[in-house]
This record gives sequence, structure tokens and C-alpha cells, in this order.
Amino acid sequence: MFDTALTRSDLIFLAQGAGMTLIVTAISVFFGTILGIVFGVIRYQIGPWWAAPLTFVLDIFRSIPLLIQLVLANAFVTTVLGLRISGFTVACGVLSFYTAAYCAEIVRGGIEAVPQTLRRAARSLGLTWGQDMTSIVLPLATRVALPSWIGLALGVMKDSALVYIVQVVELLKSTQILITRLQEPLFLLMICGLFYFLISFPIARFGGYLEKRWSND
Amino acid sequence: MKTSFLAVGVLAAATVAMPAQADKLDDIIASGTLRCAVVLDFPPMGSRDADNNPIGFDVDYCNDLAAALGVTAEIVETTFPERIPSLMSGRVDVAVASTSDTLERAKTVGFTIPYYSFENAVVANEKVEMATWEDMKGKTVGATAGTYEAIWLEGKVKEWGEGEFRPYQTQADVFLALSQGQLDATVATVEVSEANVKSGNFPGIKIVDKAPMVPDYVALITLREEYGLINYMNLFINQQVRTGRYAELYKKWVGEGEPANLTIPGVYR
Repeated sequence: MFDTALTRSDLIFLAQGAGMTLIVTAISVFFGTILGIVFGVIRYQIGPWWAAPLTFVLDIFRSIPLLIQLVLANAFVTTVLGLRISGFTVACGVLSFYTAAYCAEIVRGGIEAVPQTLRRAARSLGLTWGQDMTSIVLPLATRVALPSWIGLALGVMKDSALVYIVQVVELLKSTQILITRLQEPLFLLMICGLFYFLISFPIARFGGYLEKRWSND
Repeated sequence: MKTSFLAVGVLAAATVAMPAQADKLDDIIASGTLRCAVVLDFPPMGSRDADNNPIGFDVDYCNDLAAALGVTAEIVETTFPERIPSLMSGRVDVAVASTSDTLERAKTVGFTIPYYSFENAVVANEKVEMATWEDMKGKTVGATAGTYEAIWLEGKVKEWGEGEFRPYQTQADVFLALSQGQLDATVATVEVSEANVKSGNFPGIKIVDKAPMVPDYVALITLREEYGLINYMNLFINQQVRTGRYAELYKKWVGEGEPANLTIPGVYR
């Protein structure tokens, strides 16, 4: 009835691709979030005028298609700087900045969502800026920013499919390799989609769970 | 002031250091890896095995080149249109990707001498008496409509003034007709012919002779200005033929028979 040339080793090959997608995403989201928090706080703290250069750089990362960023960054590193670094490193670097650019906006929005009056009250009680940021702003802003941040993480995971251009064999690339060999595009793309779903769904559900738990108190 | 002195010093050092810059050949040896662009959906030159590892004539050729340089090979999968862009953007060092050496491409990239050439073979039904390509005269022949082979074959039939030419939609149709005896002979690339004879999908066919058409010569490519590397690769291709490795690879990937002659009679290079 249903016949396919897909073997067990091909499924393992796909799973390895999925693993690569997860690793690239995890590294990029981790560093991207740290950078994003730093940039977001700086942007909020020093005001729109002084933050204009930073905003401009972040806008570049947000508005140029990721594929072009990857090709240009790879060409810059290998031909202009003459460094022989792996495509994996380039991919993680570019994706981290890409994530950071979006995350900075989310962080800024989160901080702005904390009422000014509340923060003034905190400072009036004698809290330092650092205490205000960690004890008042952080818990409140995280709740506001979490849904967008989960969305960003899922988006980056799907965008990571583009890193094939710098020779990183992730899930979509390994699917394409199998399509070339086995000539069963629809079936293989369905399996690829299933893999993406299996990775994304727990993250989405975990985000939903956190949202629910945090909104009770 | 100190900073500006430093800046001038760095600038001067950079200017002095410029002419001594290593070329790509040095870079490859220093880095220890040779990155080859190979097209992997083009058997028998490049494809993937059951474990999805790259295999094929071009893959082996890249490995040989890397071994000659004393470095490890890294196969970078490329498509046909991506070969030259991947070279220009520095993603690969050379392309071992069956690139035809056209003059148009030579304006952009540097070609070596041919390392392989795609020739055409005459394939006939086993029941038909044929020894050379000229025995096609007076026979019923056919090929895939519109292709280079078809145009050549139709022209020959017209020239001979006897026999019949039949065009077909696909290459598979041609071989099916040949296998069933509707056709006496056809002309197709040696690689396709060998693969079809080997596959067993078309019983009762045999390769008779090579067709006397101008072969499609393919060469290795790298950046246009990398004369050192091109020079090295020219010698490497020469050595591959001289040592018999070329014939060995031909036998391994294409089939029995004489590998294509890489020299063009009557002209240098």
C-alpha cells in the first residue's frame, strides 16, 4: 500500500539534523537573550537620543534578511578577515545578534510596561537602581515579555533553517539531502514538519504553562 | 599624539606586509583543509550513498587533490548555478563540479586543463549487427528530441540519405524503444549509457562505439587570479592521468572501457 525507501539510518540522519537545529537555536537564543537584555536596558536607560547608534545597528539586524546576513558575515570572516572558522560558529554568531535585536525590543517594551509610579515608590523607599531593577522591574517585566520571548525563540528555531547556506546541516538541509537521494519530497517534508513540531510544541506548551502559573499570584 | 603615532605605525606595517601576502595555495596548506564544491545530485560524478555520505568521481577527485596537497578534504555540497558564487564568496577553495570550460565563465573564474570529458556513445539493440558508429547508416535511430545528440543524429541521417530518425520525449522512452526493438540504435552520453546498461532496466542493449561528436570538456575552477593554485592543479590533473588514477576512477564510477581522451588534437592545452 505505502512504500518508501526511507531507512532507519535515514531517520537517524534526520534526527541528527534536528539535533543540530536545537543546538544552533539553544546557543543563539541563550546569547541573544543575554545581549538583548543588555541592549534593551541600555536603550531604555540612556534615552532615545543617546541610544540612536545602538538602535540603528539593531535595526540593521532586524531589517536585513537573515539569509543575506549569513552570506555576508561568512564572506567577511573568511575572505576579508581571512579567518578559517567553522560555518557553525558564523551561524551561531549571526543568529545571536539577530535574536538580540528582536529581544532588545521585547525587553524595552517589558521595562516600559512597569508603571513609573511603582518604580518611583520603590526608589522612595530607599531601593538602589540595581535593587529596583532586580526586585521590582525584573519580575513584572518578565511576565509581560514572556509570551513575545517564547514567540521569538520559536521563530528563531524556524529561521535557523537558513544556516544551511554556511554549510551547517540542520533539519531542513538533511531533509533536502534525503529528497535528492530518495525522490520522495512530500513524504520527507511531512516527516521534517513533524520533527519541527516535536521540537516546537513542548517549548510552546512550557511557555503557556509559565504564563498561567505566573498570572495566578 | 601617542595614538596617532601608533596608528601611523600600524598603517605602515600593513602597507609593508601587503606584498608578502600568501596566496590561496599557501592558505590551503596552512589551514590544513581543502574545501571543494561538489554537485551531489549528478551521478556518477557526485551523489550520496545509503548513509548520506558524499560519493562519486568528483568526490574521489577532491580527496586525491587534498591528499596531494597533504591536507584533509571538505566536501561542500553545491548546486550547478551556485558553483561560481560559492567560489567568489569564499565558501570554497576550488570547485570539482564538472564545470564546462566556456569562455564566458573564464571571464569570472580560472579554469585548469580538462580533468574529465563527457563523451557520447552509440548504444544498439543486441540483435542488430553493429561494430562502429558508422553502422548506424540505414538503420532506425532515435534520441530525446531537442538535445545535442538528437540534432547531431538527425543531421547524420539526412546526410546519409537513408534510414530513419525518431524523436522521443524522454531519455527513458528512447531506451525503452531500443530495448523493445523499435529502435536499432541511439546516441547518449557515455555515463547515461553505462548506467542504463548496468541497471538492467533495459535488457538487450549494448554499447557499440563512441560517437564522433565534440566532447563536453570539464575542468576544475578556482578564483581567476590564483595562478599558483591553477598551476598546481594542472600538474595534478596531468599526474592523475599519468599514474593511471584517472583510468581507475573512470572504471570505478563510469564503467569498463577507455576513459575519455583529455587532449584536443591539433592544438596546445
